[in-house]
Amino acid sequence: MKEGLIQQFEGYGEVARDIEVCRKYGIDYTLEKGSVEKFINRLHPGRMTLRVADIIEETPLDGTLRLVPEDGYLPPFQAGQYITVSLETGNIRTSRPYSIASPPNQTGYYDITVRRVKDGLVSNHLLDRVERDDVLVCSGPAGNFYHNPLIHDRSMVCIAGGSGITPFMSMIQEIVDCGLDREVFLFYGSRTLEEVIFRKRLEAIAGRFPNIHFHPVIENPPEGYGGYKGLITGSLVKDVVGDVPGTTFFICGPQGLYDFCVPELEKLGIPGKKIRTEAYAPAAPISNQPGWPENISPDDRFEIRIKDGKVFSARAGEPLLMTLEKEGIFVPSECRSGQCSRCRVKIISGKVFQPAGTPVRRSDRRYGYVHSCVSYPLEDLEIMI
Amino acid sequence: MSDYDVIVVGAGNGGLGAAVTLARKGLKTLLLERHNVPGGSATTFCRGRFEFEVALHQLSGIGTPDNRGPLWNSLKKLDVLDDLEFIEMKDLNRIVIPGVLDITLRTDVSSVVEELGGRFPREKDAVSRFFELVYRYAFELYSYFTNRDAGADAVPLVKRYAFKTAQQVLDEFFEDPVLKAVFGAYWGFLGLTPNRLPFSYLAILFFSFIEMKPCHIMGGSQALSNALVNKFIAHGGAVRFNCAVKRILVKNGSVAGVETGEGDEITARYVVSNASKVSTYVELLDREHVPDEFLKEMSIKTPSPSGFCVYLGLDCEPEEVGITAATNTIMNSADLSDGQYNRMHALEFDADTDMVGFSCYDVADSRFSPEGACQVSLLTLKYAEPWLRLPPTRYYSEKYRCADAMVSLMEKVCPDVRNHIEEVEVATPLTFMRYLATPYGSVYGFDQYAKDSLFMEHPRETPVEGLVLAGGWITDCGFETTIKSGISAAGTIMRSLGAER
Repeated sequence: MKEGLIQQFEGYGEVARDIEVCRKYGIDYTLEKGSVEKFINRLHPGRMTLRVADIIEETPLDGTLRLVPEDGYLPPFQAGQYITVSLETGNIRTSRPYSIASPPNQTGYYDITVRRVKDGLVSNHLLDRVERDDVLVCSGPAGNFYHNPLIHDRSMVCIAGGSGITPFMSMIQEIVDCGLDREVFLFYGSRTLEEVIFRKRLEAIAGRFPNIHFHPVIENPPEGYGGYKGLITGSLVKDVVGDVPGTTFFICGPQGLYDFCVPELEKLGIPGKKIRTEAYAPAAPISNQPGWPENISPDDRFEIRIKDGKVFSARAGEPLLMTLEKEGIFVPSECRSGQCSRCRVKIISGKVFQPAGTPVRRSDRRYGYVHSCVSYPLEDLEIMI
Repeated sequence: MSDYDVIVVGAGNGGLGAAVTLARKGLKTLLLERHNVPGGSATTFCRGRFEFEVALHQLSGIGTPDNRGPLWNSLKKLDVLDDLEFIEMKDLNRIVIPGVLDITLRTDVSSVVEELGGRFPREKDAVSRFFELVYRYAFELYSYFTNRDAGADAVPLVKRYAFKTAQQVLDEFFEDPVLKAVFGAYWGFLGLTPNRLPFSYLAILFFSFIEMKPCHIMGGSQALSNALVNKFIAHGGAVRFNCAVKRILVKNGSVAGVETGEGDEITARYVVSNASKVSTYVELLDREHVPDEFLKEMSIKTPSPSGFCVYLGLDCEPEEVGITAATNTIMNSADLSDGQYNRMHALEFDADTDMVGFSCYDVADSRFSPEGACQVSLLTLKYAEPWLRLPPTRYYSEKYRCADAMVSLMEKVCPDVRNHIEEVEVATPLTFMRYLATPYGSVYGFDQYAKDSLFMEHPRETPVEGLVLAGGWITDCGFETTIKSGISAAGTIMRSLGAER
């Protein structure tokens, strides 16, 4: 800059004085070192090291891991959110999201309840191999399935299937512990009575608090069972709840539950925006999903080529993320249900199947980015991690 | 041999501008981004059936087919114009002071003069004269920065107004405080209230929006970031997402590479840092490599405000709730002085005191949201300190309380909006801090007081040879300037390489 030019501008003297004062009393930014990370970690730690303090058998199928922080601090969360457990099992580095079942009004521990999946890689590892005092590496709490006071009604109909009860357990305990002004009608679908998780606790809460209503709905009930049987139908909901306007519906469970219950609720005239569903991984076999090409079997195999990396074969019916993990290629992941975009990879060539409604950004679609947790190879692929 | 010629830290506008330029010049370049998508602020996120725009309200510098602007030229250099569709916005701003004023300004001077002349008849001439000043001032600025040998007397308006605040100039031209507020309303795009903001920035903003029209991008600002990454890859660039940088490595006073969050060391001859200047000097470089003078120079600057945003997905067309313009400002009073400035230091949002800007891109282009739906992003500027002092256990309840008040303010203009909300997401200053990793969650880099403004000498050197900065912390805020800063950073490296040969 040419010397002496701005010095001729009107008001330069004052600006010069400002600078002089600020040089004397300015900000020492070195004091901020590490502060951004520290502040953010109080709410959204990228990674937490949690110790298994207790293992509680809930049902023949389910166990709860009570997790306490190694460093003494757990961030608050919104009832309904999940953490993702990262682990290595059978030489595969992978992860799974689990809704936090304990309420957010205490952060001494998080409970996660794990249901055994037949041949499941992670559920069997967590239920059979993990012991008290073992350490698990987890993500911070995340997810968009929670009661949002800005738009959700004080009256909630919660529909759970199987281990989908966990977010509702957290919500209900928070409501009764904190005396929140909300009413909950919980319909809990289960194959058998034995598989109803938290049954005793839920019955006790419903017995004590008039704003909590607990209705197990059993598909194969024992003889003489007096409760609700079969599936959670619209007419059952209407019979129990009565008038539904002014109510928000929350659904969490396996895909079959959504496929059945959402249309049932829509038949009652409930608008889509009043029905909130937790993210879920599509049910296997993937070839049953609408839009899956007829000429491809889930057992067909295609060649995957990583840009500047290895080449391997993949099953069409297995999510790309899982295949990558089995090949020892680590891709960070969180929700594993197509929502969070953490496991985003770029398809350079070839075609993948993505279930309808997977929320991928428009420009991501244009440039071939997919959420690998819900992408299935339909052709030979070249991909970029 | 180094692993790369250049490592670019951060895929914000500045980092992307640099990365694409360098890759196009044939340099072996690695782009590292801590998040799983590129863009920094220039990004979108999905909720339900909506894809929400995070940061871009009105894009400046694109221009019209017969009058292309500086950003158009930058994007042409980066060769991404064919990948992008720009949507011109017909409105400048709808400004509402409930019970006092509700006026929509279009993007040409004569219509603004007519519109304001109708509402403020005694000051119609003053409005004309104000725009004359804005135009003449903008042209003088151009000649000042292109030919400084002509001296200060060749640019009498610059000489007179360069260090004036926006408020001083508005006071000089106008009587009615409401009219002054109409012009001052845009301060939210610049981070300082009119009584603190240099007039130059307001003048440049008006000149740019009226002469070159505000735009939006089809697909949101993510379409821009993705187009740039795509171009970078096409020219052989390597990119790693989910890869934070922990340290910039220095050997014998020169850049040697970076250490990633995972502990990998990657070597390079040059590093472009698109991290904030504060993070670069304080977090990424070891203290011993940053001479005191660099910290002293930075110490006179204050971090700009952060933001508080509410993103709404509505289940109706904009008109149904009374949204008639793409860009809107709601103010509770015409007084935009320190009272309003101080509100930025308050944690809470007060529906009867604070002001809010909101954008509804669907007004400009109905393809922005699914059919029969539209999205609104409400923004107010807030400093992060009160949020940092808040106990974490109170975070969510405060967040929703403030968001609720912000929607209440919008209801003063769109009374039925609450009944149409299908999706909602809230971003606090901590959210911006989390995703941008800037000190205090600043969204505009450093504040732009007169002492920090475009007339002042900004040091080009960094403490370490081979380290170049890019992004909003070394230039004025906005997409146009940050992308340009990246292209300039690449230019610095090319010149340095040229000098070596």
